Amino acid sequence: MREKHPQTEIAPYLRGDLSAAERDRLASHLARCDRCRADADAYAAVLKTIAADAARIPAPDWRAYRAELHRKLAARRNLVPGVPSRSWNQRLRWASIGTAVAAAAVLLFLTILPHSQPGAPSVDQMAMEDAMGGADIGLLRNYPVVEHLDLLENYDVIEHLDEVAPTDTSDENPS
Amino acid sequence: MVPSDEELCRQVAEHNAAAFETLLDRHQARAFRIACSILGSEADARDVSQDAFIRVYESAGKFDGRSRFSTWFYRIVVNLCIDHKRRNKWWRKMVPFSTPDDDPETPPVDPPSLEPGPEADAIRSDSARRLRSALDGLSPTQRAAVLLQTEEDLTSREIAEILECSESTARVHIHRALAHLKKTMREDR
Ligand SMILES: [Zn+2]
Repeated sequence: MREKHPQTEIAPYLRGDLSAAERDRLASHLARCDRCRADADAYAAVLKTIAADAARIPAPDWRAYRAELHRKLAARRNLVPGVPSRSWNQRLRWASIGTAVAAAAVLLFLTILPHSQPGAPSVDQMAMEDAMGGADIGLLRNYPVVEHLDLLENYDVIEHLDEVAPTDTSDENPS
Repeated sequence: MVPSDEELCRQVAEHNAAAFETLLDRHQARAFRIACSILGSEADARDVSQDAFIRVYESAGKFDGRSRFSTWFYRIVVNLCIDHKRRNKWWRKMVPFSTPDDDPETPPVDPPSLEPGPEADAIRSDSARRLRSALDGLSPTQRAAVLLQTEEDLTSREIAEILECSESTARVHIHRALAHLKKTMREDR
């Protein structure tokens, strides 16, 4: 009988974030699986490095931080003459440009490839969410052409194509 | 009696400035730290965490009380960070010939740390350098998930609430992030 490596439970296990039943099950798996035990050791080392790195984040000058925040709030309420709410307007502008470019890309794609391949593999939903953010994927779920749209919606996807590929099949191997 | 975050948020919705200041006192350090972890830049973290507080100030009335205030607020912070990272990629790829003069408030590359000194030296240390480099290879969501767990000590369930996904999805994000970090940091040696 094949046993799945419970890899997604290793980090919660290391952090004490599993229920008692889950913890016992994982501990017993680790006792007989070299691969997961090696992963657990490696993950523990990575988690330790991240924690050490976090301790180095310096605190800003909070007085200056608050003063800047209040200037931004005042600018947005137009209470401070001569302080335009430029940053906000720029974001709105970039959001508009991004939306327009995405729409253009979608139209272009639909023109070039109007028909989907019935047997084509579907894109890994989670990798898409990683790259695009939940809001976008929620919107795209409403459309049947999502499998094609998502690759064009955000260029970030191109950098994560390896995540879109089929995942490690050795997960299914017996331990 | 000390008012809860949720009560303070309700007061902010009624334009109570003192309530807003109290929420700032309670959450500014964590908001900045989370943003700094995800974005890897103090200047960007300051900007994005301030944007999150601006959202609270202007949208406190939208907090429906179904989750804790902290979950709602850190969801705003994380979403702004993810948007920021994605927007910067759009910026780099769609406007390759622009110069910093085009937009002095949004430099095309991360500005250097504002406060060089012991922190900067530490960041140059080998393991930190490898970590930073490996973190850059994560998607914004994976990065947020693993950093929220490690640096903010949140459970998978809390991370799932912030990322608005299932707990098992949050665990997959974290596992993929750790697998990538493990592989990349080992190769980079
Ligand atoms: Zn195993």
